[in-house]
Amino acid sequence: MFTLSAEGQELVKKELTRYETPYSAIIPALYRVQKENGWVPEDAVLHLSQLMNLPASHINEVLHFYTMFNKKPVGKLHIQVCTNVSCAMNGGRELADALCKRFNVKYDEVSADRKITISRVECLGSCDTAPMMQVNDRYLENLTPELAIKKITEMGG
Amino acid sequence: MPKLKINGKDVEVPAGATIIQAYKASGQDICHYCWHPGLSVAGVCRLCMVQVEGIPKLQIACNTEAKDGMVVNNNSEMVKETVKWGLDFHLINHPLDCPICDQAGECGLQDQYMQFGAYDPEMAEQKVKKSKVVDLGPTVVLDSERCILCSRCTRFCDEVTKTSELGIFNRGDHSEIGIVEGKPLNNNYTLNTVDICPVGALTSKDFRFRQRVWYLKEADSICPGCSTGCNVKVHYNEEGLWRVKPRVNPDVNGHWMCDVGRNTYKYVNIKNRLLAGKVGRRDSWMEMSPNDATRTAGMRLKDVVDKHGPESVALVLTGQYTNEEYKDLLVYFVTGLKLKNIFHWVNNPEKLNDFDGLLFRGDRNPNTKGLEAALKLAGSKGRWEDLQAGLNGKKIKAVVVAGPEDQSVYPDMNEKVALFAQADNLVWFTACPSDALNGSGAETWQIPVKTHAEKAGTFTNFQGKEQKFPLATTIVPQALTLSEAAEVLAGKELNWALRPKSLGGAKNNYATTERGAL
Ligand code: SF4
Ligand code: SF4
Ligand code: FES
Ligand code: FES
Repeated sequence: MFTLSAEGQELVKKELTRYETPYSAIIPALYRVQKENGWVPEDAVLHLSQLMNLPASHINEVLHFYTMFNKKPVGKLHIQVCTNVSCAMNGGRELADALCKRFNVKYDEVSADRKITISRVECLGSCDTAPMMQVNDRYLENLTPELAIKKITEMGG
Repeated sequence: MPKLKINGKDVEVPAGATIIQAYKASGQDICHYCWHPGLSVAGVCRLCMVQVEGIPKLQIACNTEAKDGMVVNNNSEMVKETVKWGLDFHLINHPLDCPICDQAGECGLQDQYMQFGAYDPEMAEQKVKKSKVVDLGPTVVLDSERCILCSRCTRFCDEVTKTSELGIFNRGDHSEIGIVEGKPLNNNYTLNTVDICPVGALTSKDFRFRQRVWYLKEADSICPGCSTGCNVKVHYNEEGLWRVKPRVNPDVNGHWMCDVGRNTYKYVNIKNRLLAGKVGRRDSWMEMSPNDATRTAGMRLKDVVDKHGPESVALVLTGQYTNEEYKDLLVYFVTGLKLKNIFHWVNNPEKLNDFDGLLFRGDRNPNTKGLEAALKLAGSKGRWEDLQAGLNGKKIKAVVVAGPEDQSVYPDMNEKVALFAQADNLVWFTACPSDALNGSGAETWQIPVKTHAEKAGTFTNFQGKEQKFPLATTIVPQALTLSEAAEVLAGKELNWALRPKSLGGAKNNYATTERGAL
């Protein structure tokens, strides 16, 4: 079964005391799992359920509500390209396609060298700098395919 | 206590009540799915729309407090139009399953559509496909496509059993009820979720595909599963009983019953019953009608009493019969035969006071209290050691036992048969056959009796509450009640013309009785 590091468990315990209801700590707890593991495996839900003393079903509800939690493995760089209205009008979809081609990977799959996963996502709230993408927790804006590829390569992709 | 007008009718409701409760109190219909009187308010289905004078927008009745002087209606064009669209939206992704759906005939969607909808659907969208058979646990199956996400089932598991097995996973029209892998829906109350599910999304593994509900009749009854005495309805046809469902009684079981109680219909059905009286011992049995078996047993008992005195006969009673039967039987034995040896067979003394905190009790007899009262009235001292000593010392020559209707809750059946068979004569009233009895070495009368569903009577539950119930149906017409047996033992004739008959016309459709895996 997946378990958090000692430090991770400490953090979750602290989050539990922060809010009016312990249910509010589910998001930070799942985030922590994702941070330690890159994605949230099914059995992490059981681990958190024990750790937080909350029903597994309710943790699972939160996990499956938000697409921001990865339910399957992702590469070292998780590249989320916005293809919502503003970005799409400025070439977001073409950008995403170009990245898949360059890094030889299909959407939502992990590249052979396990370094890259590319996803198309909805608006990331940075419409004025469209097209844009998010690589792990960094925003990269006003992109062209060439610029995006350069940045990703710099980041180790 | 606020007074308000509901569709022009004056009603008064307790302070804090909601408008939907006022509707129920005024006896008027209101469309709704997610609200359930036994659960918290969710306000998710948006169908209980009402117009409140002075408030421009429609309100949901289930989450709006009824205030003094309110004027409320749900029959204006505005409300009707809104509810119609609400229903149409609920049905966007609902499959056209009615012909194969177990809920058909008692379905919230069908009923509300006929009453509040009856429109031509205007939705042309493709339906979202979801799983049709999701195994939630040992008792319940989910059809995700049929679910309208009212959240009654999840609230039940959160609020009533507090086991929280169920959750709603994913978002929007991908939302589905589900369990977490390795944590099945497995508690003693799961089948209540099937009852409260307004559609055919949750079905009972035990009942699904067995009967069309509109062919079943129902009758009020009391669950014989334990001393709580939940108020129930049994659903039956000419073939027998098919299911048990709870009946609301705020003083006893509220809206619910347990899964153990749901199984109590099984031993009532004909293939599990003792159909003829059996007289003999071990390897040689003679079959005769229950009436004849009882009559010959009565003559033997009288003989024994005449020869050896009333101390030579012992009467053993279980807490599984009605107050009326105890009374009639005891009248015969105490006043007729002058018996003093009357004993209470307690099946599981260690667990007698167990309680799961909700409904289910360790005393697996529906009428322990009633039996205790009857014994007290009859002046029985009934110490078990005396019975044992009497049997060992061969002083007791005959034992009469009103054995358990449900033998599965009597783990000491074999042991007790062996004990009582030490007497020369054993008269045993039983609803179902028993291997232990067939091995009895005494001269034995096995006499078929009626089950709780086949007689009217009263059970006194653990609170001392007397609960009357009517005869539901007759499955083994020749079987006797203990009251009838008392008459026959005394040598009287039963009035055969007055005795209940079975419904008749039983067909045997194996597909409805043999169960597959789900
Ligand atoms: S399964 Fe039934 S009770 Fe549960 S949310 Fe769906 S419709 Fe409601
Ligand atoms: S709690 Fe007892 S009386 Fe109620 S349904 Fe269960 S077995 Fe029957
Ligand atoms: S549309 Fe791409 S960030 Fe808003
Ligand atoms: S019953 Fe009121 S919103 Fe569902």
